[in-house]
Amino acid sequence: MRLALLAGLLGVLLFSRARQDVIGQQTEPLRWIEAGAGGTLPAEMYFHNADGKLGVLLTGGPLEMKGHAFFEPQGINPRGCVTCHQPSNAMSVSVEAIRERWRVTNGEDPIFAAVDGSNNPKLPQALASSHSLLLNRGLFRVGLPWPPADKTVKPEFIIEVVRDPTGVNLDDTYGLKGANPTISVFRRPRLSANLKYVLSPDDVFNIKTGTLMAIDPETGKPASMNMMADARHLTLRQQANGAYRDHQEGRQGSLRREALEQIVAFEQQVYLAQSHDRWGGSLVEANGPLGLGPRALADGKIHVLANNNRDPVFRLFDAWKTPATMAKELTDAQREFRAPVARGNDVFMFRQFWIRDAAHINSIGLGNPIKRTCATCHNTQMTGQDLAPGWVDVGTVNYPTWTELPVFSDKAELPVFKLTCDKGAAPHPYLGRVIYTNDPGRALITGKCTDIGSIVMGQFRGLAARAPYFSNGSAKNLRELVDFYDRRFDMKLTEQEKVDLVNFLSVL
Amino acid sequence: MRKALLVLLVSGSALFSGGTTAQRREMPPAHRRNFVACPIVRDTKTLPCWLAEYEGELYFLGLQGSSASEFYPPQLNHEVLVEGTVTNDPRICGGIPLKPLRISVLPELNRACNTLLPAEDGLEAPAAVARRFSEDLRKPGTDISQREFIIPFDFDSDYLTFHTTRIVGEAARIAKAVNVAKIEVRGYRATTWLSNGKQFIETETIAAQRANKVGEILVGLGLPATAVTVISKNEPEPCDGVTDTDKRRVTVRLFTP
Ligand code: HEC
Ligand code: HEC
Repeated sequence: MRLALLAGLLGVLLFSRARQDVIGQQTEPLRWIEAGAGGTLPAEMYFHNADGKLGVLLTGGPLEMKGHAFFEPQGINPRGCVTCHQPSNAMSVSVEAIRERWRVTNGEDPIFAAVDGSNNPKLPQALASSHSLLLNRGLFRVGLPWPPADKTVKPEFIIEVVRDPTGVNLDDTYGLKGANPTISVFRRPRLSANLKYVLSPDDVFNIKTGTLMAIDPETGKPASMNMMADARHLTLRQQANGAYRDHQEGRQGSLRREALEQIVAFEQQVYLAQSHDRWGGSLVEANGPLGLGPRALADGKIHVLANNNRDPVFRLFDAWKTPATMAKELTDAQREFRAPVARGNDVFMFRQFWIRDAAHINSIGLGNPIKRTCATCHNTQMTGQDLAPGWVDVGTVNYPTWTELPVFSDKAELPVFKLTCDKGAAPHPYLGRVIYTNDPGRALITGKCTDIGSIVMGQFRGLAARAPYFSNGSAKNLRELVDFYDRRFDMKLTEQEKVDLVNFLSVL
Repeated sequence: MRKALLVLLVSGSALFSGGTTAQRREMPPAHRRNFVACPIVRDTKTLPCWLAEYEGELYFLGLQGSSASEFYPPQLNHEVLVEGTVTNDPRICGGIPLKPLRISVLPELNRACNTLLPAEDGLEAPAAVARRFSEDLRKPGTDISQREFIIPFDFDSDYLTFHTTRIVGEAARIAKAVNVAKIEVRGYRATTWLSNGKQFIETETIAAQRANKVGEILVGLGLPATAVTVISKNEPEPCDGVTDTDKRRVTVRLFTP
């Protein structure tokens, strides 16, 4: 069966038929793509997940993976980009898939490479406990130089390691006191898809800083500053070279030119979104919502500010508001699912609450608090990112709003850093000058006290295929994500509103 | 407008110094309200209102808006510096409107500033001013005659807002269009004369911070670094309780060959 599927164009057809008789997801073709395995990636792919199916589209047509730099190891370990950016997992990788790999390979899969696929490269790698952050939360170690690599940056704070459950931050090789002083934070892979939205530049000025936007060295134009949890890379080329060095342990400084171009060309033509409901029905219907399915992403306009009721972030869901306007062929169960999705869109777009103490939203002229909605921050059409550079301290990583267990709890899994800012520096607007965090976020790049705990919001697509959520993997599922917001902003969501929001997010 | 302010100044001093110009006034003019307080946010059926209390009286500061709005509201967890002139206009959200008005969010954290009042019948917010779309503001002008630009700042702040970045952008555009020979960027540090008679002086390094920031932006926008001279005046500007807000500024002057 596998062979037939890989046999080019026919594959697409067979592929969709094959799916119907495959019950277990794990036997689904292309469910897990091993670096270097070769084969053909069809132009259109569908993968099961608990909420239905994810659709992935290659606008450039079917792709031979053999010899392709995104799919072949480039560095010294046997990982390809695909190892952590799997089509079936919305070009990220879910904790469910990671655990399955552990089971199937007895922990030998390259994804578990000691460098960043374990809590600490010095731990005994055969033990699952040495990979607990990856196995429990889907987190990879991201080691960043401290002070920052950019020597023009003058850090406004000092960093102390308060808790180091992995041992890596206090390690004499990998830690802050090593020969190359490094801070290790643990982060989820972000989607290498729908990137035309992520990379669309805003204005010459960066409203988050009141200064100029960083310049894309390739185009000479302002960069979007919306990639990575800390916006440290401005272009796909910088990013790919960074991934080559960090994840693939590449030793040549940067990728070969052809490999780099091949990777970037590939990334720019991958579009994805949830495509089917739990009953196998397509989410894309004639006269239905316009923002669903991967084709809508491929065809959509970039850089549209959409926190309005005319043409909202994920477009209009009016057709699903009442059974009367829904597609005729839908079953009762499907109808009963679509109505809450449409209501969830309204909660997301219009349900007001007090957004408060969120640095880089409340602190940039809007006021603290503001009575607005989810879409105030997540305002870009099709992806739900921020049109401006999207780093915000929404409270996921900083004490006391973080989702992590109490600082000194034995069960805490993430490192805790204490950052103390200089007296002369502008303080973090809502936390002052002494901040406990498990990821300083943007501040590790800028050295600024005001940036501590600001994380660039990622796109909302293919959520159903890639739990857990938030950069630190702290929301196990969409319900936990919604519960976080309910607590954080004292939203007083009703049970109905929560269910609606979860259903809504699950179709994106 | 400058003229009007001057007139106010003169009449103000006449009022407070009994007409003898030689004698220094003790207090800013009586119609001014210059004070530091915790801001108060009051919810309404529509947009939240921002208020602040001074000597038992409530003043209306403005409404929640967007980053393109003229008025940037205060922030809870921070004190606000209010500098305004009392009007006879009807109360808004229970507070006396101040016009003109400038507010500054003070940078240090103050967790005591935490008052959020629920909506109350009879205390309605006025309709929001029709919002100018940010796109309009992004369109540069075509006139190239301007040679001097004033970039205002909030107290103790070097943050350029959506609006003030446009002023720097205009200066850069014209500088390029006229083939500028020299650009002089001058940063100032100001003092606010508070209604209680105290002088409130900005932080010591603020003039340089502001000037350097504007200078860097001009260079970043493509003007030759060699043509940009950055000067800052660390000596705080004198205060009069009326025009103090105008002195928290950076000026950009263009010299053509
Ligand atoms: C070991 C797993 C791993 C491998 C291998 C890997 N990545 Fe990633 N990728 C990540 C993680 C983790 C992040 C997020 C890091 C952060 O936010 O600091 C990420 C982020 C990205 C992003 C940013 C997307 C966005 O919108 O922010 C892109 C693009 C990307 N990777 C492409 C690649 C490419 C190209 C390669 C191969 C050269 C690659 N990755 C290899 C784990 C991996
Ligand atoms: C103050 C700005 C702000 C508001 C309001 C806000 N968010 Fe977020 N959101 C963020 C930031 C910042 C992140 C990234 C945080 C992180 O990864 O740690 C994020 C991430 C997310 C993600 C992406 C998760 C992932 O891992 O890909 C989802 C989904 C999300 N938010 C949903 C919502 C919903 C639903 C609401 C309204 C209930 C909401 N957000 C309100 C700022 C905001």
